[in-house]
Formats: sequence, C-alpha cells, structure tokens
Amino acid sequence: MDAELSGHRYRLAGGRGLLTGQEATLERSPTKTSGRRWRPGRGLLVVPPLLFVALLIFAPIIYIALFSVGLRSNVPGAEVAFSLDNWESFLFGDNNPFRARFFYSMRVALLVSIVTTAAAYPLAYFLSFVARERRYTLLLLLLAPFFTSYLLRVLAWQIMLNDEGVVTWAARTIGLIPDDGNVSWLIYSTFSVSLVLFYTWVPFVTLPIFAVLENMDHRLLEAAQDLGASRWTTFWRITFPLSLPGVIAGFVFVLIPTTGEFITPLFVGGADNQLFGNSIQAFFGTTNWNLGSVLAMALIITVVILMLIFGRFLNTDLRATAGGDET
Amino acid sequence: MRTGGLVVKALLSAYFWLFLAFLLAPLVVLVVFAFNDSTTATLPLEGLTTSWFSEAFTNGQLTNALVRSATIAVFAAIIATILGLMASVGLTSDRLRLRSLTVASLMLPLVVPYISLAVGLVILLQALAVQTSLTAVVLGHVVIALPFAILVLLPRLRTLDPSMNEAARDLGASDLTAFRLITLPLLGPALVSSFLISFVTSFDEFAIASFLAPSGQPTYPVFLYASSRTPALLPQVIAIGTLVIAFSMALVLAAEGGRRWAEKRLVGAEEFADEVSEENLAEGLVMVAKS
Repeated sequence: MDAELSGHRYRLAGGRGLLTGQEATLERSPTKTSGRRWRPGRGLLVVPPLLFVALLIFAPIIYIALFSVGLRSNVPGAEVAFSLDNWESFLFGDNNPFRARFFYSMRVALLVSIVTTAAAYPLAYFLSFVARERRYTLLLLLLAPFFTSYLLRVLAWQIMLNDEGVVTWAARTIGLIPDDGNVSWLIYSTFSVSLVLFYTWVPFVTLPIFAVLENMDHRLLEAAQDLGASRWTTFWRITFPLSLPGVIAGFVFVLIPTTGEFITPLFVGGADNQLFGNSIQAFFGTTNWNLGSVLAMALIITVVILMLIFGRFLNTDLRATAGGDET
Repeated sequence: MRTGGLVVKALLSAYFWLFLAFLLAPLVVLVVFAFNDSTTATLPLEGLTTSWFSEAFTNGQLTNALVRSATIAVFAAIIATILGLMASVGLTSDRLRLRSLTVASLMLPLVVPYISLAVGLVILLQALAVQTSLTAVVLGHVVIALPFAILVLLPRLRTLDPSMNEAARDLGASDLTAFRLITLPLLGPALVSSFLISFVTSFDEFAIASFLAPSGQPTYPVFLYASSRTPALLPQVIAIGTLVIAFSMALVLAAEGGRRWAEKRLVGAEEFADEVSEENLAEGLVMVAKS
C-alpha cells in the first residue's frame, strides 16, 4: 500500500515536471501508466457511437449497393433478381446521358478545385508572411461568410447574376453592354455554377495552406537568403515545395464535396449545367430507385477512390495542426 | 521574406482586400434587398422599408419552418455532442483495438456525399417500413455532425493534464466522479463548441432534410429553397435570411470569444497561447464549412 501510494506520488510529480533528477527518471512514461490505472475499459465507450454510425451510414450504403444490382426494389410486388444491367448501361452503354453527366461534373469539379487552390494560395501567403500580427483577425474575416447559410449565399448569387440582377445593372450603368442587353453566360451556365462553387470554397482552401505555411521552419527561408538566393528563388525552391501538402489538402477539400454537389446548380445552373448530384436527386423523386442507386453508388466509389489517393495528405495536415496545438 | 519586396507586399495586400470584398458582396446584397421597398430584388433601389421583416414574421409557414429547424438542430446537437464525447473518451484509451478502423468509421460521414447519404437513408427507411419524419431528419443530422463533435472534443481531451485526474483518484474519487468533477468542467468550453458546430451544421442542412422531412413540415432550408421559386415570397425570405446571417455570425463569434475567455480562466494563463485557440477555431471552421 505504501509503495503504491509513493508510486502514485512519483508519477504525479513526474507528470507535472516538478521533481527533477534520479527519482523522477526512475518511472515509466507517466501518461501511459496513469492511463492504464485510472480509466480501465473506457475504450468500450466508442461502441455506441460506432453502432450509430453503422446503422445510419453503413446500412444505407449497403442498401444502395443492393438496389444498384437489383436485389431490392421500391416497387411493391416487383420481381427482384441480381442484375448488372443498370451498371452496364451506366458504365458502357452508348451515349449514356448519366455517364456524360458524371464526366461533366468531374470536369467542373476539377476545374473549380484547381482555380480555387490557385486563388487561395496568395491569400494564405499574405496572411502568413505579410499580415503578421493581424493574421488571425484577417483569417476570421475571410472565413466570415462560412458562418452563414450556404443556401442563402447561393440565393444571393442568383440575385446578383440573374438577367435583371445587380451585375447586369452595373454593366449597363457603366456602358459595358447596351441598356437592354444581357450577358448570356452570366447565369444558368457552367460559368455561374463554377463561380459560385469557387466563391464557396476559396476561404476554406486557404486554411490548410495557411496552416502549413505557419508551421514551416522559417530558418530554412533565412538560410536560403543568407546563401544568396533571391526572394523568387527562395519561394520556388523552398516555400512552395514545403507547402505542397497544404496545397494538396486544400485541393482535396474542394474536390471531394464538389464531386457530389447539387445545391448550387439548383439555383444558378441551367438544364445543361446540372451536376451528377442533381441526377441522383432527380431519380429519387421518381420511381426508378435502382438506376438512381447505381449513380449514388458510383459517386460513393468515386469519393472513396479520391480519399484513398489523397487521404494521406489530409493526415499530414491534421498532424501539422495537432503539432501546432501542443507547442 | 518578411523584410523586403514592398511591391509584392502591396500586390498581395490589394489582392487580399479585393478578395474580401468579393466574398462579402453577396451578403451585403442580401442585406440591402431586405430593406428595399420593391417586390423584386433589382437595382436601382426603390426606397427603404422594414415591411418585409414584419410580413415575414406574420408568415406562419416561414416562422414554423424556422422553429422546426431550430428544434431539430438542438436535438441533433445534443445527441451528437453526447455521442462525440463518448467516442472521444473511448479513443483516448491506450488499450483500444482497431483504432484506425474505428477512427475511419467515425469520420466516414465527412466524405460520404450528403446526396448519397440522403438517398441511402430514404432507402433504409423504406426497407424498415418507417415513414419519413422529423425524427429521421434529427438522426441523419446527428450522423453528419458527429465527426465535427469528435474533432472538437478529442484534441481538447488530449491536452488535459492527466495528473489532475490522478490527484482526484488519489484523494479517493471514483473514475466516474473524477470524470464528472474534473474532466467534464475542463471540457466545458469544448462541449459548447461541439454543440454549436453541430447546431449550425444541422440548421443549414438541405440534402437530408429535403428527402426526409415530411412534405407538410419543411425545415428552414427546404422552405427557403421552395419559396425562392416564388417571386412573391422572395423579399420575405431575404429579410429572414439577413437575420439568420446576423444571428449565426453573432452566435459563433460570441461562442468563440466565450470559449477563449473560459479557457484562459480554466487552464491558466501560462498554459494558454492565443494561437492555439485560434488554430482550434480554424479547425472548427474546417468542419462547419463542410456543410
């Protein structure tokens, strides 16, 4: 009993770092030991949340998969049998409109991700290297639109871009276009859908790039300049390569949600600019859930593949942020 | 880097401030049209009025949708925070097996597209022969809010000094008592953050609600979408939208301010770095933005 109590005291002291010297170094890692002692079996607490996620994420995905191969049907009394017909027509059918829609969506998503990341980099760079003391305040300003409803922001863009909207009015007022003129691609176009997605994601992409720039070892930059590198050379040889994990993380942050986007085209897209997510949405308003499930499953598989390719960059970013927390 | 290059600095500054204007422009436009004395949202302005606000508040469908969304969000946020707390405490266990699989499963809702999740839930309800309902919306929102709750709570839990809990145990407290009297109060600010982030996620969510809310009971985003198609309703929707924007900004900023104030008091100044808290905020925003 005595020994145990004193053991406790040593651990406690070691943990707080109050004791120095021989006594404190005798013991094992304080956190680990104490973790074993005072909270036995608390790992079991993950079970209820896991069950919840299993029921509401895994079960729906399994049902989507079953519907996509015809093993279930939403039509009462309909025959169910395993069939890859819907998959075959989606993947290989001649001029399948949904496959075309999928590739159109992926092109838009890729374009938006690249442009967004490119536009966000200078913002992150400005915050980290120019706006030194005010950087967190300015970051908060940059992120302010995120505090507001996504639907409202898209609605605001519809109000700005429509044929009698603010942008058209401004263009007419300064004489860019005639008084009764319109710019045909301003709304209900690939441009308007891409613009709103770009608008939505830029502040968000700034975050991981900013985090990487902040956690960068600035001595490397000083060393490069001490050795005679120009500012330009230092940027391209040191800063940019070191910030790539943040850039890729930001890119993925846009690419993944944009792949499944469907709200923006509802407001500012025309019939030709609806994205893959809109196709899925439309199917579940009708009766053909089986074909709709093929599309929903294709989207999930696409996102999982993207995560497998890019996931490790997201981890890098999380580690960097966690490291910043501890210092 | 930090010293020279005035031209580069000036260009970067100009770019930043112009971009900020671009980001805030749509919000400003909404606010302006909320007070415009016209049934159409077009320039030039016709005059100032506050009548859209009074009309909006007497529109029962609109106010009902707001109350409905707020109620759903409160329930979703409470459940998500409780489940998130359980998951986070569990994940700090040294003896947890299959840790990466567990984390991956809990984080999965972050990457599954909401539209796929929404139709999957529709199918699941049909398979279980359960009617769509607001309860189903709450459960769907808990799923998507859970990763955010964990991402807020887990880092905070990890930074807690284990020796405080040990001290409580040495003084005779049981595991549960130590948790209740030491860990929980220290987690307080993070619990509030988790609640708020979950609340905002649910309040703004459209995909799941549009499929699972029964047709006579739209949530606020569902109602907003439907009425944006009705020109006569648009000015009211904009007016309420302005209030929602102001309210959510005030809420999150107040919560962040409060959390920092509380952490300063609780953790003690020497363990508190402004930047740490700012980075936590940034992390939190990463999550909010996903919605």
